[in-house]
Amino acid sequence: MESQWLSLLDVSIDFDQSHLFFPRIITWILVILLAVILVTRYRLMVPGLKRAGRVLIGREGEFDHKRFFGTLALTTAYFYLMSVLSDVFPNTGYSFLIMSVAFVFLLSLLYVDHLTRRLFVILVLNALIAPTLAWYVLAQLFRITLP
Amino acid sequence: MDILSHLTPMFFGLIAAGTLIGIIFGAIPGMTATMAVAVCLPLTYAFGLENGIALLLGLYVGGISGGMVPAVLINIPGTPSSITTTFDGYPMAKRGEGERALKIGIVASVFGGLFSAAVLFFFAPVLADFAIKFSYVEKFLIILLALTVIASLTTNMLMGIFSGVLGVWLSLIGTYSITEGGNGEPRLMFDFMQYYLIDGFSLLPVLIGIFGLTTVLLDAEKGFKDEAGQGRISLKGGAKFKFNVFKGQLLNLVRSSSIGTFVGILPGVGGSAASVLAYSQEKNFSRDSSMMGKGAPQGIVSSESSNNALTGGALVPLLSLGIPGDSTTAILIGAFTLQGVQVGPLFIGNNIDTWYLMIIALLAANVMMFGIMYFAIRHIAKVIEVPKYILYPLIIMMCVVGAYAINYGIMFDVWTLLLFGVFGWVAHKVGLETVPLIIGFILGKSAEVYFVKSIESYGNLSIFFTKSPIAMFLWVLIAVSLAFAIYLRVRNRRQPAVES
Amino acid sequence: MKAILSKTCLAVLATAAIGVSASAQAADDCPIPGNLRVVIGSTSTGGDTYQASSMVVDKLADQLDINAKVDAVGVMPGFQALERSRHGNTIMIFHDGAYLGNLYGVNGYPDIFNKFIVGPTVAINPGNAYLVPKSSPYQSMSDIIEAAGEGKKVKVAIQPGGVSEIGLTAMKNAVRMKYPGKESNLVAVNTGSQADKNQLLFDGAVDVINGSVQANEQYTQLPADDQKAMRFVWITAREKTIAETNEEGMGDTTREQLLQYVTPKASVPMGEDEDFTFDKEFFLMYNKDMDPAAIKCIDDALAEVYKDDEFKDQLKRSFFVPDYKPSEEAASYLEEKNDEYKTIISDLKG
Repeated sequence: MESQWLSLLDVSIDFDQSHLFFPRIITWILVILLAVILVTRYRLMVPGLKRAGRVLIGREGEFDHKRFFGTLALTTAYFYLMSVLSDVFPNTGYSFLIMSVAFVFLLSLLYVDHLTRRLFVILVLNALIAPTLAWYVLAQLFRITLP
Repeated sequence: MDILSHLTPMFFGLIAAGTLIGIIFGAIPGMTATMAVAVCLPLTYAFGLENGIALLLGLYVGGISGGMVPAVLINIPGTPSSITTTFDGYPMAKRGEGERALKIGIVASVFGGLFSAAVLFFFAPVLADFAIKFSYVEKFLIILLALTVIASLTTNMLMGIFSGVLGVWLSLIGTYSITEGGNGEPRLMFDFMQYYLIDGFSLLPVLIGIFGLTTVLLDAEKGFKDEAGQGRISLKGGAKFKFNVFKGQLLNLVRSSSIGTFVGILPGVGGSAASVLAYSQEKNFSRDSSMMGKGAPQGIVSSESSNNALTGGALVPLLSLGIPGDSTTAILIGAFTLQGVQVGPLFIGNNIDTWYLMIIALLAANVMMFGIMYFAIRHIAKVIEVPKYILYPLIIMMCVVGAYAINYGIMFDVWTLLLFGVFGWVAHKVGLETVPLIIGFILGKSAEVYFVKSIESYGNLSIFFTKSPIAMFLWVLIAVSLAFAIYLRVRNRRQPAVES
Repeated sequence: MKAILSKTCLAVLATAAIGVSASAQAADDCPIPGNLRVVIGSTSTGGDTYQASSMVVDKLADQLDINAKVDAVGVMPGFQALERSRHGNTIMIFHDGAYLGNLYGVNGYPDIFNKFIVGPTVAINPGNAYLVPKSSPYQSMSDIIEAAGEGKKVKVAIQPGGVSEIGLTAMKNAVRMKYPGKESNLVAVNTGSQADKNQLLFDGAVDVINGSVQANEQYTQLPADDQKAMRFVWITAREKTIAETNEEGMGDTTREQLLQYVTPKASVPMGEDEDFTFDKEFFLMYNKDMDPAAIKCIDDALAEVYKDDEFKDQLKRSFFVPDYKPSEEAASYLEEKNDEYKTIISDLKG
């Protein structure tokens, strides 16, 4: 009797298909949980989505579009140009250095509120010194591979 | 014994240098202890075995400890095992108690470090023999236990569990890795993604994306309006650090250090799980856990003592089986092989001098870590006063370095950083919880391997219950841990109702 | 503001460019970049690939007077980096796993002989081995082959699709030759790291594991009543390869003792009167468009490096066997090796 019950728990996994076994279980759990969330929170969702849409296009709420999308755009450009430039200067980290100087400077400029002459000098110095220091210590002294 | 001849100023100088460099690596978001050790590994050629090991152990201890600095000050864990330090550290920093929180963390760290060094010294061979009693089945159950603690760390249980499962799901993207014993076939993606995702997303870029970049995006959205003036967090005000904060914490210290040490001893169970397990056990079993997550010293104590206890624990299987206990000791093993020293079950007996020197180095590294951090902390804590328009661009830059360098130069990891930065922002908006998600992500791959391999070997699900007394004991722990989580939730829900 | 910015950019670019051109051509007539990146097919810095590569690359960099760095990126990222690097800024070092993956049909492994240029071999790791528990009834390889032939299931823990599997394939082939149809009695238990393989042996879940002299030798020295005690049954290297290692062997096992586990003493037959052998060899790979002058230059530099007995001793102390073959010789040699194993693998499939 007992062994019959136990055989109900028999599972065999074919090695060629074993990469799908666990992901399938997890996907099912995920789908079920998602369904539960949707059912229990259905009423909260529609107004929530509407509000989110209005916030994003700027009709409502406090949302700093310039700085949020600016951050995204600058970061994307930073990563993209860094990978392009690293083919020009392979294995030296120069691409990282050059793009970081530009990125740090521009992002600081985007974030700062009241730009004074003094602050501007600080930002320029920071953008020049910090990435150079990082590059020198990491790429030159520690010989870490940089883009 | 010529062990004394090795205890040169050079030896201690390298430990100090290692500890300092480690702390700096740990404290910079994006850089980790593992990276510090990896970077300095080639240097050990020049120094010879004993001195090289001294340097690397300093880096290891320093790196793990330094991770608490950004966790407390800017809510970004400096190293994966300091995730739980953010829970109470950052709320304290916001109250102006950053310095206090860090000092609590340092004391807890040094306790955990020394505790695990003592365990390593006295019990290494015995514990290694115990560790090999853990086969696939038991290891899967340990991971399951760590996953169930998600339940006690969430604010909303349904969303928390969903986030945890989503984390596991995300970790499975890629191929079922051959180096883990899989068949190398891709899943959970389209064919065109295979070129980049063949090895899946790697942990560090995901972690620093979700914690680092997401933090930047959330603040960018608010426009840094409060930054110019009053909103800046002050370092003054709030309670000052006194040692009596540790009164009544002895049990917590010992429990958390034991958990940390033990998780370190088990090879293949993610080291970062240690602090999560310790934190949730403190939450479940302490007399009063109502303040945890809102800036309670006991949370920092359990998190930091357990993650430093990992160091000694992870060295147990390394030195008595030749098997690394976590990702950092996996690199440490290179220092031995590069010098032509075999590590295995006979290592301690064959290299008794090296063994003593390693214990001395480990103890010294912990003491030096304490010395360096305790007195430097006042200055380090000032990071919090740096305006964000200076700090944030630099954080992103260092995150790029960390993401790119962790796998020795892979550009896709940098894109992962951005992808998960944005994902983290969206997750925040729709109410997903990032900590369960990361825990799921960290443990997902090992959970799969141990689960599938258990079934492949035994062909029957009942093996998970009947494999060994250890397996049954782990089920009891899982049940108790879940019961407590539910009990606490019900109790906490009632309390405010009574008060109002 | 913009003027300042663009000027700074220009200045930085200019300095950078000067730096590059200054270091670009390091040695005379040698079109090798001043900063050479060497990717390896392993993500471990504690493994044999990293160890061998870093020794060889350090010497090579000294010889060519360039900077070179070993990056443990792993197989697929390594192949990808190699493919992108048309100007020879990145080269790769890996072992036989590079083509065995393709022979076993593992997802993502290209035919390296077509897609890349296979360069010089540099070293052999002679340590690929198979082990049993000390208390095992199997005393030798022929015991295992006989047992499988008599219908007993013998479980062998391996990492699928590479160096770790080739020995098992050979064992199966030997069973098939003597007892056709019985080769399926040798059952592969697919697992990952050495730790996992050892663990399976400790659990009693497998009868034989793949391992290495370096990683498992200490386990063979444990007393028989220890759960962890193991015994070598087969070392896959050629006899002459083991003969070139240091006399002290590895740990407490001398070369003389190691030779007991190598053909002809431990025999896994492959043909009429031929035994199967497998040497795990490390070799360089280049991008298809790599400048032939650069390839020759590395060949020449390595030839110089391998004249140095001190360096050869260094390799031997770490239980590697120095094994330099210039590019063309190495490429045809490895292709032959590839074809030989291809036959065995496809014979077993069909």
